Amino acid sequence: MVAGGRSALSGRRVLEIADESGAYCGKLLADMGADVIKVECPGGDPSRQIPPFLDDRPGEDRSLHFLYMNTSKRGITLDVEHPQGRALLRTLALSADVVLETLPVGRLASLGIGYASLSEEKPETVVTSITGFGQSGPHADWKASDLVAGAVGGPMHVTGEADDPPVSLAGEQHFLMASTCAASSTLIALLAASRSGRGQHVDISLQETTLAVSHISGVGKWLDDGIIPRRVGTGLTASVPSGAYTCQDGRVYLMVNRPAHWKALAEWIHEETGNEEVLDPLFEGPSSKRIEYRELLDLFISDLTALHTVEEIFHEGQRRHIAFTPLRSTREAVRDPHVLSRNYFVELEHPAAGPLRYPGAPFRPEATPWSLSRPAPRAGEHNDEILGDELGLAPETLQSLSQAGVI
Amino acid sequence: MSDQALADIKVVEFTQGMAGPWIGRMLAYCGAEVIRIESHRVPGVVRLYIPPGDAKRRIQPEMSPWFTDWDAGKLFVALNLKQPAGVELGLRLVGRCDIVVENHRFGAMEKLGLGWESMRSARPDLIAISSSGFGEDGLHPDYVSWGPNIEAMSGMAWLGGFPEQGGAMTQYAYPDSLSALHGLFAVLCALDHRARTGEGQRISLAQLETTMAMIGPELMDQMAHDRAPRKMGNRSHHRAPQGCYPCEGEDHYCVLSVADNDQWRALCGLIGKESWVENSRFRSREGREREAAAIDEAIEQWTRRHSPQSAAEQLQAAGVPAGAVQNTEDQYLRDPHLTERGYFETIPHLKKGEVTAPGIPLGLTGTPGRTTRAGASMGEDNISVFRDLLELSDSEYARYVELGAIEVGNGNEPGTG
Repeated sequence: MVAGGRSALSGRRVLEIADESGAYCGKLLADMGADVIKVECPGGDPSRQIPPFLDDRPGEDRSLHFLYMNTSKRGITLDVEHPQGRALLRTLALSADVVLETLPVGRLASLGIGYASLSEEKPETVVTSITGFGQSGPHADWKASDLVAGAVGGPMHVTGEADDPPVSLAGEQHFLMASTCAASSTLIALLAASRSGRGQHVDISLQETTLAVSHISGVGKWLDDGIIPRRVGTGLTASVPSGAYTCQDGRVYLMVNRPAHWKALAEWIHEETGNEEVLDPLFEGPSSKRIEYRELLDLFISDLTALHTVEEIFHEGQRRHIAFTPLRSTREAVRDPHVLSRNYFVELEHPAAGPLRYPGAPFRPEATPWSLSRPAPRAGEHNDEILGDELGLAPETLQSLSQAGVI
Repeated sequence: MSDQALADIKVVEFTQGMAGPWIGRMLAYCGAEVIRIESHRVPGVVRLYIPPGDAKRRIQPEMSPWFTDWDAGKLFVALNLKQPAGVELGLRLVGRCDIVVENHRFGAMEKLGLGWESMRSARPDLIAISSSGFGEDGLHPDYVSWGPNIEAMSGMAWLGGFPEQGGAMTQYAYPDSLSALHGLFAVLCALDHRARTGEGQRISLAQLETTMAMIGPELMDQMAHDRAPRKMGNRSHHRAPQGCYPCEGEDHYCVLSVADNDQWRALCGLIGKESWVENSRFRSREGREREAAAIDEAIEQWTRRHSPQSAAEQLQAAGVPAGAVQNTEDQYLRDPHLTERGYFETIPHLKKGEVTAPGIPLGLTGTPGRTTRAGASMGEDNISVFRDLLELSDSEYARYVELGAIEVGNGNEPGTG
């Protein structure tokens, strides 16, 4: 699919029946060259209505969320409640290496394409399911949202200021993490299937992927030391010093883990503020030696940062091998000189939405480049191509399916 | 045939922290043989662990729970890569492996003589991933960063938290885990490509760019309109009401999200606001967003009378997406669902007997993974790796030890980094 280039997953086909909790999984696979076919209901997927919209005007092809999460995919519309729609769905599922789905537990089976049924006809089939709580257990039929995943999975309890209620991250991160795990699991299942001839059902739980990702504040610390982390603002409990510090024109983030980095920081503070106490050997060594002095050290550091601008602290800190970085707004982030110098953002033309700039490669493979091979599909854009040219339905059949509202 | 999905894959890691090691942890869990190279001269930060309960404040390099979380299931060798003989052994290991994972500072591997070209000479179809904060070109690939630095720089921290605040940071160095997950995916793509073509390749991952990809729609909004995206806090672009509400007890909360009118009706019934169902003010999502203050107050009056778990159960029973805000202890002791699914994993630990760790959430029901052991010392597996895998003779092994290339010792006297 990539003009003139090679792509890692070319030849792999994925049938995606997924809402916003799984669309990023399909995007990861599609941007690496898999043929991902997104199945939408007639009239288009509800996720086309997720703000923000281009120029704040809602419309089928104006959701920036939809445009971003569905790059490089092809799309068809299909009424799966209709018997003919269901038959087509099964044919498509059997033509694919992977069915990616986010339906309530049991729904895929009721559509006639559950793992058990597909694997009977095609043993190497992989079905990847993403649900709030997984396919089994007492909460298997519970409903989830990104916020619910952040609550039950643990991140919310430890995110935010100490005196505030728990708060979530921007951008539905728990959906994205589940999707990323699902994409890896899908490939592991495919690799195993190419060896053994047997596929499998991949059971991704939003609660579990969220918990695993936030596990730095996890169960081992509690069982060993009775520590239950909670909200502490911007610093990390285990790293001292760490956190956001105020400069003349904004804030910087600092993290010190290595003994050598602490020494470099202490010397800088001493040079600029005349502070002698900061050089005390008491503070030297790994982070755990400084934990009880956290507040004092924060004051020393603030005395230094208050003397400078963000960019001064950033570059001079880095010159001294200290991990100072700016705390950037989104406006600053999209103008970051380093990011721009690497040509990170990609411009892509969508037939309805026009040219837009997209965040680019999340990683850069040299032989099989990541690429946006096409913009997000319009609703039903590839009905003729996939159902007609590839499945071999006659034009008159397609027309009657269309008239019956099946596609 | 082994039931482990990646049983035929060998991996060597030159890593530190979490962003690199977690890739190897997951590959090992799926059956790959993962060899992590360390050195007593520069112990990783996770090795510099002082248990909070230790009165003598001694560093105990095998005891960190994070070491279990990120490194369990691997083989550990100690090599001095400042020695030519150490580099030679490192390259011989690379020659026996399919995948190299590396997350040292930009240029560090090259300087050691372990750059891409040297490694590829040792193994022509090698797959190697280099993960760093800023990638390998551009204005400052050499700048140092940890996960939270990247979170701050990406715009994600600024955009998180309540709208009236200056942002929110995770407590778990989020860019580290998301870089590891993307790195794992990239390596698997390369394996799939190699299986079909025989061709290996190098992958470079800039954690800043991975993190920016996680707020894609928001950055597109910023670029298309040159304005700051809306800060959502606990609200949603497409669900209302949605929020986090105080429950009975101190620092206890639950969350709920209403996606459609059925769920709205169910919520109204539960909190005693049946009259709101037919009220036109609340009929649409937009209306419910406008009336957020009144709705929040009514929900809170109800949630304050219940524990987070009880509130979540009642809401879910009525069909409303909801959950308790759980801390670690809640998840381990009070979540019957996680218990029933066997989420937490008990792992044999060489020093502690056994430990419990968060599960690896890959959900591979046909080829379930497992973690063989935790708590290995530096150099724990020197003999099995160098003698059995590299097939060094007794005298060769002894010579490398004498040269100081293979480091032996108990690892309890680390230098400073």
